[in-house]
Amino acid sequence: MNYETVIGIEIHCELKTKTKMFSGAPVSFGAVANSCVNEIDLGHPGTMPCVNKDAVRLAVMAASALHCEIDPLVKFDRKNYYYSDLPKGFQITQQFHPIGSGGYVEIETDAGKKQIRLNRIHMEEDTAKQFHNEEGTLIDFNRAGTPLVEIVSEADMRSGQEAAAYVEKLRSILNYLGVSDVKMEEGSMRCDVNISLREAGSTEFGVKTEIKNLNSIANISKAVDYEVARQSEILSAGGSIVQETRRFDEASKATVSMRKKEGNVDYKYFPEPNILPIRLDAAWIADIQAHLPELPDQRKARYMSEYGLNDYDASVLVNNRELAEFYDDVCRHTKEYKTAANWTIVELTAALNKSNRKLEDHPCDPKHLADMIQMIKSGAISSKQAKTVFEEILQGKDPQSVVEEKGMKQMSDGDELLKLVNEVLDNNPKSIEDFKNGKDRAVGFLVGQVMKASKGTANPAMTNQLIKQELAKR
Amino acid sequence: MDIKTMKTQDVKARVYDAIEKAKQLQPKLNAVVTFIDVEEQLEALKQIPNDAPLYGIPVVLKDNVNTKGILTTASSRILSNYIPVYDAAICEKLKANGAIIIAKASMDELGMGGTNLSAYSGPVYNPYDTTRISGGSSGGSAVLCAAGVAPLTIGTDTGDSIRKPAAYNGVIGVKPTYGRISRYGIIPYASSLDHVGYFTTTVADAAAALHVLAGRDDRDMTSGNEPVPAYETLINDDIHGKRIAVIDNIIEAVKEEAIVQSFESLLTKLENRGAVIEHVRLNDELLSVLLPTYFIIANAEATANHSNLDGIRFGVREGGDSVEEVMINSRTKGFSSNIRKRFVIGSYSLFVENQDKLFRKAQKVRRLIVNEVKAVLDQYDMILTTAAPTIAPRPEDSVDEALSDTYLIAENHMIIGNFTGYPCMTMPCGFVSDMPIGIHMMAKPYCEQELFNIGSAIEAETGLKGITAEVKA
Repeated sequence: MNYETVIGIEIHCELKTKTKMFSGAPVSFGAVANSCVNEIDLGHPGTMPCVNKDAVRLAVMAASALHCEIDPLVKFDRKNYYYSDLPKGFQITQQFHPIGSGGYVEIETDAGKKQIRLNRIHMEEDTAKQFHNEEGTLIDFNRAGTPLVEIVSEADMRSGQEAAAYVEKLRSILNYLGVSDVKMEEGSMRCDVNISLREAGSTEFGVKTEIKNLNSIANISKAVDYEVARQSEILSAGGSIVQETRRFDEASKATVSMRKKEGNVDYKYFPEPNILPIRLDAAWIADIQAHLPELPDQRKARYMSEYGLNDYDASVLVNNRELAEFYDDVCRHTKEYKTAANWTIVELTAALNKSNRKLEDHPCDPKHLADMIQMIKSGAISSKQAKTVFEEILQGKDPQSVVEEKGMKQMSDGDELLKLVNEVLDNNPKSIEDFKNGKDRAVGFLVGQVMKASKGTANPAMTNQLIKQELAKR
Repeated sequence: MDIKTMKTQDVKARVYDAIEKAKQLQPKLNAVVTFIDVEEQLEALKQIPNDAPLYGIPVVLKDNVNTKGILTTASSRILSNYIPVYDAAICEKLKANGAIIIAKASMDELGMGGTNLSAYSGPVYNPYDTTRISGGSSGGSAVLCAAGVAPLTIGTDTGDSIRKPAAYNGVIGVKPTYGRISRYGIIPYASSLDHVGYFTTTVADAAAALHVLAGRDDRDMTSGNEPVPAYETLINDDIHGKRIAVIDNIIEAVKEEAIVQSFESLLTKLENRGAVIEHVRLNDELLSVLLPTYFIIANAEATANHSNLDGIRFGVREGGDSVEEVMINSRTKGFSSNIRKRFVIGSYSLFVENQDKLFRKAQKVRRLIVNEVKAVLDQYDMILTTAAPTIAPRPEDSVDEALSDTYLIAENHMIIGNFTGYPCMTMPCGFVSDMPIGIHMMAKPYCEQELFNIGSAIEAETGLKGITAEVKA
């Protein structure tokens, strides 16, 4: 039997706000347990929610960047269930009137470009974090009440590769917007992947499983591939899929059953009575939309059209926002865009990997790199010398002073170089003879001798020219 | 005793006299859940200017008003050990204006009731006849004001929980406009219907109290931005030309002749003062569904509001082998069966398959009722009716939100004030069988001044300004 894979993804993203969604307590990752909480986060009697305007602003940014339709009337609802990580016994969310609906994300895989439609994006609050040990359960309420957006896709993806590309793209967009840290490993971005199979050609959905605990994009692809194989095997053997929640086990690279779902849980949603509908000012929304940061696709297009980069280089830069921003800074000081791209993509990345550091805590100054590129261009230093200079730039040094300190000035002085060329010719009569006999290779050898004599400082182009000129005279 | 008279006495003396009186009455009325040691507050009073409106005035809070560091039980077993970590917004306002909080008053469990028979600390009794109920849910607060313990006591009103006991105990009960007083720090019942209000013995005190308590609070997003006038200085009892609507189908539903007569004689007096009294009718069908509509909305909101009471983070925790079991056991033992029944009803009306025919239908009916009442108030300055249709009953005769045909409309019409959020006030208008009876007024949103103005005229006519009960031994 030939099966088609159907995938829909729900993503929860923590918004980068100073305070929580409905309380004034600070939001922070990694703080001492239960130190970022107040009476509201703990669900104490009599507390009331107060909507964080900045969270709404970030949600409007995200919804706008994802091409959603914005609902200017912000409403919240209660989602009721009992769980020890949910202090109030309900979560405040947007069930009936999400801030954004529709929209899409464009992905690119080996199969080409594809639009993944979004169902909705809505605001809600995060739950507390639980730690189970032998003595019992410990609860850290720091995370409780952290603003989230949930982004729900339509079931438009057909492979693990598409699923991974979708999450990657979404993460990149949210990262460029600066609305979230989008760190899957720290849980500031969490994916639930719904997978089902159906007979090729069918339009009905099969029974789905939901996979949680996916802490990297690579794992999404692996988990989907595993789950597709698992479901396919069951269906091929005439079995049926059990609707359940599974988690991805990193060690075994397999999905493991967490809990069965007996139909849908009734969360008894109803409008949150303590938050009256809030009418967003159209001018406020328009202002947010007019000032959206440049998004990855726009940036890639700019790199290709303005800087003349090829698709691959532009993609590599754009896929790493910090690197791209560094590159843009370099390009503010030099017009050698392609050279700048090469140095950024190849040398800088290699250096970062080697030192195991992040760009943000690296002393390398983009202007220094630009200056160095200008020195190569003007012939002040050779490409070979540049590698040494770059080492020093990475330590935060200015290329001009590095060149001076190391006495690296490229020999570009005509008289000086001419003297050296003639010395070399005088010492190599055999090569002159070879040249006269039509062996052009002799020029290369002679250039090499000049470079050697100059300890690598001779300007190669000038040397080449002068040798040809002097040979003709002999 | 009103605030003005009380202010002529020595601060410490009046505060300790009030506490002493409350303690003496406690065996008879059972109105207090917790007495508060006031030493610290009296010390803090030194920082408050002595012309503050409530300077050194003893005040009582209903036990659903959070008091930092002081037991706050909402008269429920599950919160019988709960010590709040923060003060309710109104506590801050009261203290900043010089009030000394002397006690936390009994209430129906979590505010869910109208008799005060369901309090974890036992029933509260009426100071005019201790064989009768106080009414509820703000029973303790009503009784402590009526017995002359404190000139201002705080209550909350979700169905008529200030106004019914005010009527039963012969005091003024004010439920201002929804959003007029911050609800931050009040243990809720049903958020869209909950109001903070209070009891006083004079209209002047009622006006002064609102001046202190009202105003925008950013912690309560439903609180209003309207400026707060100095109501007490603006009282004008000239009601000439005031247009007053009497809802006939509510008055007709009152079966006690004496209560109707008292009400009608008051109407005549108001007409003689130049008020224009006109009789209107509300849609009978809408009136007949007031209680079921209320019951569905209130219980649905309540079941969510009280889902935080699970014994995990605070409150009385029962044992269990798992977190889930702890929650189940804590809630099963922590609430009385009547409360659990209400939670079941609330949940039932929210189930996906029931929402359309119960919860959402109730919301629609609420909207229709609001529109009906708004249409009347578009034509009139206020609506005047009887308050409770009987004097305070004895416990065995009391009905609590039952669908009894006898008083379906007359007993429950004050719920309209919660559906609309419009400002309401009840005040005594006479006595029947030595028990106080009251009238009920409702004005346009944020027009509390109208209530105080007409209330002042009524006070002059009834001669019941500042009355308190002498509790018989």
